[in-house]
Amino acid sequence: MPSTATQSASFEELALPLLVSLYNHAFWLARNRAEAEDIVQETLSKALRAFDSFQASTNFKAWIFCILRNTFLTSRTGIAASRTVFLEDYASAFEIVAADPSPEEIVIRLDDQETLQAALDQLQPLLREALLLCDVEEIKYKDIAAILGVPIGTVMSRISRARHALRQHLILQHGKSQ
Amino acid sequence: MTQGIGHLDPGTLNAFIDGELPAGELQEAQRHLNGCHSCALRVLSATQLKAATAHAGHRFSPTAETLARLTAQLHSRSETQKTARSYSIGSMSIGRMSIGPMAWAALAAAVLLVVSFLGWRQIHQTNTLAAELVDQHLATLASGATPQVISTDRHTVKPWFQGRLPFSFNLPDAVALPPDTSLRGADLTYFNGEPAALLLFSIHKHQVSVFLTQRVNDPILTALPSTHEGFTIESATTRELCILAVSDVNPADLDLLVASLVRAQSNS
Repeated sequence: MPSTATQSASFEELALPLLVSLYNHAFWLARNRAEAEDIVQETLSKALRAFDSFQASTNFKAWIFCILRNTFLTSRTGIAASRTVFLEDYASAFEIVAADPSPEEIVIRLDDQETLQAALDQLQPLLREALLLCDVEEIKYKDIAAILGVPIGTVMSRISRARHALRQHLILQHGKSQ
Repeated sequence: MTQGIGHLDPGTLNAFIDGELPAGELQEAQRHLNGCHSCALRVLSATQLKAATAHAGHRFSPTAETLARLTAQLHSRSETQKTARSYSIGSMSIGRMSIGPMAWAALAAAVLLVVSFLGWRQIHQTNTLAAELVDQHLATLASGATPQVISTDRHTVKPWFQGRLPFSFNLPDAVALPPDTSLRGADLTYFNGEPAALLLFSIHKHQVSVFLTQRVNDPILTALPSTHEGFTIESATTRELCILAVSDVNPADLDLLVASLVRAQSNS
């Protein structure tokens, strides 16, 4: 059952402020406007049906993002994406550990939104998903782990590798522009 | 926590800027940062990157029309749910009141309304789930849709789900399957918001999708319509599982396959 606090708040009151975030995340997953809207609609429908089972001690945002992700995974795009195996998740033995940034890396320019967007676009979807949940949605590691269905160590590893890859891309672009 | 000559390692640095360090480690990290210019610069740089990512990640805003549609959908569905609850609460509290003869007609009408509404809601829910089943079955038929595990061997397919599902199940041996029926492979999927094993069979030249989920006390799952958009849906339950099969094959053949799966669950 929903908590005392959330019992008094209706599903609508809890979900309405998250519509834009849900849509944004659905778009990042599906990369298609119409499909993102369908995924959010289906998510709202499923979440409302299951609202009675929402656990008091859990985070509503994490709960509904989990439903959103599952809805994406059963969409055509999600099913196709799930067939792609990203070796990085199984590459701990030869994984490139995010090293200390050099002085040059420390001063990378972050005011170039276009380059940063391109860097985000080029991230592997699994890394980008974890990074967006952390940095954009400000969801805690343990809740991200629940949303993605992976151990918390994997979440930390994905976020670390995502930031490392972003930084490398930005450094490369910065070097080309000079 | 630290690396090399005692600097913060990347994991600690990330946890620090994400506010995920436990209190003890946080104090230790802060002490280190007070005296380490290099690490302080790294934290500053990482914090800037995090802020820039947060800004760049808010990239896809719904159009005004989309937002209006989503808001309207949310409002209308919430209202429907509230109405259903208020009818239920109303019907329960009536029992505690003193009811005069004049109230019996109103009570009967209210009960009739509640029963009708709940009946309609169940039909609506079962139709939604049937559509979800058929949609997923159609996705498996799409050209290029390859199962995550491709095998006709139950000893390959069943172990593939280890660690992927919060439950286990048995698969019948090839000889225990109905005639001209074979296992093709399997996928991990989600059905009705729950993780499910999607088993892919073929009967003659027809493809069959079988969904295995944990059994829950939800009568909706066993009350699905027997057909949806021309596809046959068969359901069965065992002590632990709910089995749902969808295909365009002859219903009798589909029933035989489901029966063999039910029998396999008792052969543990």
